Amino acid sequence: MMHHSALLLPMVILPLAGAFVLGVLRLATVRERGMAAHHFGIIAAFGPILSFLLALGLLVQINGLPGHDRVLSQSLYQWFAVGEMRVNFGLMADPLAVLMVLFVTFVGSLIHIYSIGYMKGDPNAGAFFAYLNLFLGAMLILVLGSGPLVMFVGWEGVGLCSYLLISYYNDDRANVAAGNKAFIVNRIGDLGFILGLALLFWAIGDTGFDYADLRERAPELTPLLALTVGLLLFIGATGKSAQLPLYVWLPDAMAGPTPVSALIHAATMVTAGVYMVARFSFLYMQSVPAGVIIAWVGILTALLGAIFGMFQRDIKKILAYSTISQLGYMFVGVGLAAYSAGIFHVFTHAFFKALLFLGAGSVITALHHQQDIWRMGGLKKRLPITYVTMLIGALALAGVPPLAGFFSKDEILVAALATGHPVIWLLGILVAGMTAYYTFRLIFVVFHGTPRDAHYEEVTESLRVMTIPLMILAAGAVLAGFINLPPILGGHQLLSHWLGLEAHHSPHIKLELLTILASLTVCAVGIGIAYRRFIPTAVEPVYHGFARFAEAKFHVDELYDSLFVQPLLGAGAAIRRVVEPRIVDGPVQAVVWLYRAGADAVSAVQSGYVRVYAIYMVVGVGLLSFAVYRLLVG
Amino acid sequence: MITPPLSTMIFLPLLAGLVVLVLPLGRESARAVGLAVAVLMAAFSINLFALFDPISGGFAFYESYPLVPALGIGYRLGVDGLSLLLLVAAGALFPVVYLLFSTKSRGYYGCLLIVQGTMIGAICAADLVLFYFFYELMLLPIFFMIGLYGGPNRVGATLKITIYTIAGSLLMLASCVYLGVVYQAQSGVWSFAVADLATLRLSGTVATIALLGFVLAFAVKIPLFPLHTWLPDAYTEAPPAATFVLSAIMAKIGAYGVLRFVLPIFPEPLGKISLLLAFLAVVGMAYCGIAALGQRDMKRLLAFCSASHMGIIGVGLFCLNVQAITGVLYQMVAHATSVGLLFLLAGLIEERTSSRDIESFGGLGGQAPLFSVFFMVALLGSVGLPGTASFIGEFLIIVGAVKFNLVIGILAGTSMIIAVTYMLWLFGRVFFGPRTKTATTMRDLTPIESLTVLPLIVLIVVMGLFPGPFIDKIEPAADTLSAQVSRSSAAAGAILAQRGDGDG
Amino acid sequence: MIEHALYLSVALFCLGVLGVITRRNVFVVFMAIELMLNGANLGFIAFARLHESMDGHVLALLVMAVAAAEAALALAVIILLHKHKGKLDTNVFNLLRG
Repeated sequence: MMHHSALLLPMVILPLAGAFVLGVLRLATVRERGMAAHHFGIIAAFGPILSFLLALGLLVQINGLPGHDRVLSQSLYQWFAVGEMRVNFGLMADPLAVLMVLFVTFVGSLIHIYSIGYMKGDPNAGAFFAYLNLFLGAMLILVLGSGPLVMFVGWEGVGLCSYLLISYYNDDRANVAAGNKAFIVNRIGDLGFILGLALLFWAIGDTGFDYADLRERAPELTPLLALTVGLLLFIGATGKSAQLPLYVWLPDAMAGPTPVSALIHAATMVTAGVYMVARFSFLYMQSVPAGVIIAWVGILTALLGAIFGMFQRDIKKILAYSTISQLGYMFVGVGLAAYSAGIFHVFTHAFFKALLFLGAGSVITALHHQQDIWRMGGLKKRLPITYVTMLIGALALAGVPPLAGFFSKDEILVAALATGHPVIWLLGILVAGMTAYYTFRLIFVVFHGTPRDAHYEEVTESLRVMTIPLMILAAGAVLAGFINLPPILGGHQLLSHWLGLEAHHSPHIKLELLTILASLTVCAVGIGIAYRRFIPTAVEPVYHGFARFAEAKFHVDELYDSLFVQPLLGAGAAIRRVVEPRIVDGPVQAVVWLYRAGADAVSAVQSGYVRVYAIYMVVGVGLLSFAVYRLLVG
Repeated sequence: MITPPLSTMIFLPLLAGLVVLVLPLGRESARAVGLAVAVLMAAFSINLFALFDPISGGFAFYESYPLVPALGIGYRLGVDGLSLLLLVAAGALFPVVYLLFSTKSRGYYGCLLIVQGTMIGAICAADLVLFYFFYELMLLPIFFMIGLYGGPNRVGATLKITIYTIAGSLLMLASCVYLGVVYQAQSGVWSFAVADLATLRLSGTVATIALLGFVLAFAVKIPLFPLHTWLPDAYTEAPPAATFVLSAIMAKIGAYGVLRFVLPIFPEPLGKISLLLAFLAVVGMAYCGIAALGQRDMKRLLAFCSASHMGIIGVGLFCLNVQAITGVLYQMVAHATSVGLLFLLAGLIEERTSSRDIESFGGLGGQAPLFSVFFMVALLGSVGLPGTASFIGEFLIIVGAVKFNLVIGILAGTSMIIAVTYMLWLFGRVFFGPRTKTATTMRDLTPIESLTVLPLIVLIVVMGLFPGPFIDKIEPAADTLSAQVSRSSAAAGAILAQRGDGDG
Repeated sequence: MIEHALYLSVALFCLGVLGVITRRNVFVVFMAIELMLNGANLGFIAFARLHESMDGHVLALLVMAVAAAEAALALAVIILLHKHKGKLDTNVFNLLRG
């Protein structure tokens, strides 16, 4: 039984309408440059804030429903109906979606406000804010869609906005290339997604293609089909959520403005893949192997991201690899059917990673677009608010109790042990140590030690419109973990119960204790190593051997380039230069040549002299008469 | 509503075109006549769309007069779900062309009017011979448009398109004659009416050869790989309006011909080679996509892009299920609006900057913001972003293809990737980056031009978000057709199985 | 009796053909064509006599009328040709050469 809610549609429409209004305003004023950036920003902030308020309303509404039947929906219209295929365009919210919507609109609102300060004076801010609003609308469609195809509308919509915002500073062709890369890599994943949906439709979709219908019939899937569909959908997730082997676009995506990196490429869009797996939990429950593969891909991505993160020098790229790594954790959670643990990490990660990115943005603007950590240093005194808030974010990311990251990460690791995957657990602990190291490497190098920036004396703290969101997010990073305290620490796993995604199992006290101890140890070791290396003064290291290989990101980009990009471009150029003119056009040219040769041969007969034609005529008539004669007489 | 609606829609532009060609009108008055007729036609076709009742089945607005009674050839016109959307597109899209391009001569507008009449004739024809007549006739104005008003290599392009099309059409003519003769032999009377021919039961080698005659003719028009080589030359050399006509409507008439004649008349022979044809279409899709990636000329790139997307339509044609057929019908119009619009916008770029060389552009986004927004939407429409019309079409085709054959389905899906590679490259190269000297000569759209293009943009989005009203009109016809085809192939399969039993 | 007339007719016709083929002057070619026509006419008359029917006469008269018309046209063409090239040699007129 589903309950109607009229809040869903306005929630989606508000940011979309904002995007439309901003777009029109921008086009109307682009010639005169009549409208200041912050005016656009203020208009843009309305949509997300109102949506957030509606999301709170939704929370109240859904808590008013009985515990086992918490689904709100708003069916809009039948999208299309062809043969057995009937697809509805509707919106739907269960506790999972409500949680996503809450933090998406909350973080989104804060980042819109922050952007008002960050984009000050930018001549194209109108376009920026229009894209940002459009993104939020698409993200809400993704989360609230009543069926996989509606989700796909949002899925590709956020990809489009991501592309537009990565290419935002498009005077630099490298940024345009980064945008293209993001879109194309995402599309590769989307192909898997679409094929998965097509297979799912032919298997169980002919009685309806909403989640509710699919959930009912999911047990009918054969194991092979469940595995295939599950993996195909996961290919889509690897694109969107930057997992192996499609993670390559995310570091390049840092070319976009920093608020975009915080909102889209850390807190919300990239977690869509995790959300998708949790959303399709009914499908993944039919296929344990699919989940295990997801978990393995996740943990390997986590490891790879952490390795790369340890050796980067661009502040945003460190955070980008950290995001890839943390997303890996989330997939371990949802892959091992610990859906609430995975989603819990999505939730806490949104706070502290957005915080870290916004803090990085504050540093970058303060230093006039310097992103190299080896050109920073000693900024603690100049940027006190940024420092404190970023430190909180770093502690949360490193997994220091009682901050948010500690609880959510440990819950995933416990799940790994509980489901019998000790290797994944071990790798997870290792990655936790590496995370602590690279996070504090960043903090120590940027904020401690001696200043390395030439304009150090002129550096001032960012505007209040930027620091207040930082403080709010810092509070979130401290508190977000408490909503799902495990019993061992005196809590009741409120969030897990509320989400109700998996059957509840008894707590594993021993495993939890073991995990907590192990992760605290590696966390301390990681921070300790960072402290030893970079305090009191950090010296820019010269990397050799493996470190250098890791700094060059294992040359994966170059490998993909020479394996896929260059061959395709080469094939395209070859078709233009050789294949089209010579080979495919060959038959045509051959026919033309044949006709020409034939015409030359025949034209020899055409002497042009009247009497020659007369001879032909006489001979012809003669032969014809002879033939007629033979026919009649002979 | 004017009566008879279809004859009016055919002969109004035809006669107006002849009048424009014969009378000594000036350039502007010729354009005004063209625009007036185009607007009238748009009104007629939208009205027709509204009046069309999909449930009753068969041809609506049927007209029938005997032409050659002895051979059963008649002037038969009708519209059903298969032809409705294409007819509306052919009727309603032309005002944009007259509004955007104002600098051409009288003959150009005359040809444009005539080509519209002949195309509508081919779409409405419910008689094979009448269809053939219009199908051939519509090449003529295109011949003159490219030959007289085209680019520097127009003569070669004209020759190529003519030779290709005529060669294909002659094969089709032979097949037409065969069909007439077979019908006479089976039923004792002559008839070329589509409804009559669809009752034929054809099988055997000769039928397969006749089928190939049709398929080749339509494959040239669509064009399907490897019969596409006339396309880049013709699309590139043709003036913008002719390119628009070729890619937006005429290519679809080839696909429509397959649905109208090949599927109903040859279900059984087609079943044997449909896998091969679908595979060829997929290969062509990928090939043209990769070829587009290598182009340096904007119109050539779009030409290959158009061919690549027609490859997807080709896949859908041969999958023989209701999702794929509906997808094809929908995608025809989606492609017409999005890729057609891209050609028009590229034509504007060429007209204003005198350059088609992609490398010579950069920063057009800042130079012409409104123009670039429209270009972006058309581009997203062409790559099938959800929320645009092409997504519905492509998704339905992919779903149908997955059912037909999983490998074909996967390969068809790769169009999603290939399309974005060259399109994003084009967009990034032309609209982003530092502004080049060529780009500074670009002028943004005037308010009137924007209002001209806006309906197409709105259509792309509306057809993506609210496809219901459109699909409801065409789905019953697609359903009937696919049921008919699968019944025949099932019957053939049963016969084969029986034979197999007998042998065993 | 009929044989003689036919022999004469064929001889006239062949002479005409020979003339058309061998001679280069346009006028002579033209006259040779007249010769062929008359050869054919003689044949018609002879057969008409043989079958005692008027059909042959009718045809002969028709041929004469056509020949007269043709002569008028041909002479005009010849004058034009002369104006154009200044010669009446058939070898000069080979525009149809392939």
